[in-house]
Amino acid sequence: MSEIKLKSIVKNFGGNSIAVDNLSEIFPDGEFVCLLGPSGCGKTTTLRMIAGLETPDSGEISYGEKIFFSSKNGEFIKTENRNLGLMFQSYALWPHMTVFKNIVFGLEMQKKSLDEKEKRYLELEKLFHLENFRDRYPSELSGGQQQRVALARMLAMKPNLLLLDEPLSNLDSNLRLEMRSELKRLHQSLGCTIIFVTHDQMEAMTLATSIAVMNKGKIEQIAKPMEIYNNPKSLFVAKFVGSPQMNIINSDKDENLALCLSKKLNIEKNKVKNFGARPESIKMVQQNNGDINAKIETIQPTGADWIVGLNVSGKSIFVISSEQPIGKENDTIGIDFKVEGCHSFDSNDLRIVKS
Amino acid sequence: MNSSVSSSHNSVLINLKIKFSKLLQQPTFLIGSVLVIILSYLVIAPIVSIFSNSVSLTMMDAMLSGGKDGEFTYKYVDRVFASSISEKIFWVPLKNSLTVSFFATLIALTLGLILASLVTSTNIFGRKYLGFLLIIPYMLPSQAMATAWLTMFKNRKISGPQGMLESFGITPPDWLAYGPLPISICMALSYFPFAFLLFSSALSKIDIQLEEVASTLGAKTKVIWSKIILPLLIPTTMSVLLLTVARTLGTFATPYILGTPAKYTLLSTSLYSSVRSNDSGVVAVIAIVLSLIGVMLLLVDIWVVRKWQRFVTVGGKGVKRQPSKLGILRTPTTLFAWVIFLIAALGPFIVLALSTLMREPGNFAFSNFGLAYWTGVNVPGMDQPGIFTSPEVITALKNSFLIAGSASVICGFLGLLIGYAVVRLPGTLISGFLRQISFLPYLMPGLAFAAAYLSLFAVSRGPIPALYGSISLLILVMVVTYLPYASRSGISAMMQVGPEPEEAGMVLGAGFWRRITSILAPLQKSALIIAIILPFITGMKELSLVVMLVTPGTELLTTQSIRFLDFGYTQLANATILIIGVVVMISVLILNRLTKTNLASGLGG
Ligand SMILES: Nc1ncnc2c1ncn2[C@@H]1O[C@H](COP(=O)(O)OP(=O)(O)OP(=O)(O)O)[C@@H](O)[C@H]1O
Ligand SMILES: [Mg+2]
Repeated sequence: MSEIKLKSIVKNFGGNSIAVDNLSEIFPDGEFVCLLGPSGCGKTTTLRMIAGLETPDSGEISYGEKIFFSSKNGEFIKTENRNLGLMFQSYALWPHMTVFKNIVFGLEMQKKSLDEKEKRYLELEKLFHLENFRDRYPSELSGGQQQRVALARMLAMKPNLLLLDEPLSNLDSNLRLEMRSELKRLHQSLGCTIIFVTHDQMEAMTLATSIAVMNKGKIEQIAKPMEIYNNPKSLFVAKFVGSPQMNIINSDKDENLALCLSKKLNIEKNKVKNFGARPESIKMVQQNNGDINAKIETIQPTGADWIVGLNVSGKSIFVISSEQPIGKENDTIGIDFKVEGCHSFDSNDLRIVKS
Repeated sequence: MNSSVSSSHNSVLINLKIKFSKLLQQPTFLIGSVLVIILSYLVIAPIVSIFSNSVSLTMMDAMLSGGKDGEFTYKYVDRVFASSISEKIFWVPLKNSLTVSFFATLIALTLGLILASLVTSTNIFGRKYLGFLLIIPYMLPSQAMATAWLTMFKNRKISGPQGMLESFGITPPDWLAYGPLPISICMALSYFPFAFLLFSSALSKIDIQLEEVASTLGAKTKVIWSKIILPLLIPTTMSVLLLTVARTLGTFATPYILGTPAKYTLLSTSLYSSVRSNDSGVVAVIAIVLSLIGVMLLLVDIWVVRKWQRFVTVGGKGVKRQPSKLGILRTPTTLFAWVIFLIAALGPFIVLALSTLMREPGNFAFSNFGLAYWTGVNVPGMDQPGIFTSPEVITALKNSFLIAGSASVICGFLGLLIGYAVVRLPGTLISGFLRQISFLPYLMPGLAFAAAYLSLFAVSRGPIPALYGSISLLILVMVVTYLPYASRSGISAMMQVGPEPEEAGMVLGAGFWRRITSILAPLQKSALIIAIILPFITGMKELSLVVMLVTPGTELLTTQSIRFLDFGYTQLANATILIIGVVVMISVLILNRLTKTNLASGLGG
């Protein structure tokens, strides 16, 4: 199996902040892994180390049988020989080469014949709708077209491992949707392993077969998207995934609500530092009919559903409702918690898993 | 115990192994190290030799005053700072140099800034042409302005043919003909194009969105200029200031031509006299003083760069600023710009050309015009062949091409190489060292540097043969002197490209040389060509650097023109200078045509 193995990777750029902090992880073959995390958490650095553009201070990186890098025995495979595809956030298309030249560059490196280059180019041209652009220079293309050229260039040599660093962040939302499905389709048809960096959690949820949530140079959790969503390992993951954010209820500060949740989840309140409740796991009911009463503060219709801001004895929480809210602003209503969307976190911010 | 020793030994080996493989992937480190070794010798050796000369007794003085050749002595330090002649050879020239530099820089900076703003950002008439025309003075050798001035304003104080004004019956006073006033003006007019170029490119690099944001916030054009554009130009202003001061301090031709008749000595001319009188100790001391001033300027520069680094605007979208409407100011500003062009570029050309075509100055009778100075076999009253028949001029022309040409090509490549090493090894010792050392020659005035090379290469040392009297010495000294410009432009060119294009190639399997040849080099083509044109221009008109290294047979056009002037053959000197100007301009045009890059690119219009 050609899985990517990272073993105790440390990378420090000097200074006191560590970019990647003792990272160990296995990305299985054929997965579409999304590296998700806030800005500066080390996603790009991790990707660049896998590509060999950056060397770790210590640790080991391997891909299948091949050891890319090891600080134990000094193994280091040059980027040129790792045979992977990398796409930069800036695309890094060469401005002095035409679309054709850009795309067949990798084939040229392998001394492929003119026929082969031509054939592969035509395939890619079709796949990425690049007809008519063959002799244009990158500066004569739109952002979306440049993006497709960059994708085509990366795929020209049919690499088995694709690394993409926020490839969609420069696109408008329509194109982004289109490219997302394009990527997903590519992944399914090519069967390659993709590591995809993003800090857009929607993108991660829709694209990935597994999501790795990174925080401060470490992977906090890696799991299937729904698993991440339903069973976040830590408060950080719970907060980072999901929009609007999970409601966090501090058991000391928001006592009433915390008490109500501890009863609902059947857990002692003093074992819990924070409770979390997904906005869609809260149901609005008539006053006094729910677990607790709340006052409506704001109602924001999004078209598909309503985001309702509630105030429960001083604490503001958000609720997503697919039905028209039963009251209007300043009305008092009752709310019901669904157990599946509610979590409790201990003093180390880890989720308490009930036996 | 034992095992921990061997394991730590092992980890060193492993570390080395990783470093080595990294080196194979990206041999920047290797390139950097080789550069460090070469540059150390070429740059540091002359500096060391200057310092040692300043405190060791020369053979001549050893014989005169009894002492050992090469003995440690303060004699020369004393002679420069505190002897009966120090007033004459040092203190007065120092005062004069500072005065002249101050005024010349002030004028050049002001002209450069105003003209750059007008040309890049306003609708003055002819801005398209001005962008190019205003840098013509930069293509003329600095003695062009000075000899033109002399041809125009000289009076009977010095011999030779009459000045033009004199021939009309107006006798210009000495203060107008020679000394600080004409020197400052001539220097300013020679050096303002440089400020103009730097300001123009800085202005075109400022992200237009910064201004647009301000205008959406309600700022008027005037406010945008005073609150956004001018502050953003502060770093450029500082470097223009620094560069211009350093240049004026090291300029030799202008004070030599315009100062000597009035016995107005600058440090550069004083240094030259000391070289001529073979006083190598004094030469060394004065050179050190000049260099120390340079070091001070560098420290200021470093401080400024550090202070203003945050200002470096990243990635403008390359959108051109809409030229703002000048309204009633349009005509006067246009007039101003064109008058400057007239005085600084066209004027000298016409004056020089006229002087070589008229047998007697000031006589505009048709019969007075002729080509004797150009094509004559024997010019009347001079006993000299005309320019085109003079073997000396032909040799000088060949030498100029050979020397400036090779030096500039070497410089261009070396600069990019240095840029590559510096930019790709950020934060390392090599990077910092290369950056500093390639800038060091900047601190030494050309004259001082030449003096150092003279003493260093007069005899063979180690693997390097005695080079004095050879063309290669002139090429070498030129390369080293232009290194600061070459490396600076190389560094900035590399900075602009960034590592991604190369990394993208790396991922696709391109090895180091392949990346250099098919990605980096094409991307840097125009940078490279510009990095070759600029030193070529400078080399064609270089004087101070070479004036004491040339020997009969290795004369350049510039030094030949000074020889002519020394002998009072003003017209021949002027003709030679014209040739330099024309050669430079033609080369620029040819190269522009070849590469479609343009010295004035980045200017508005
Ligand atoms: N070349 C470098 N030199 C010094 N520090 C660096 C360098 N590259 C990254 N860092 C630091 O390492 C940390 C991780 O950076 P990285 O680029 O991996 O973040 P990221 O997760 O990709 O962030 P973003 O989402 O903003 O792209 C940051 O704190 C960054 O400042
Ligand atoms: Mg990043």
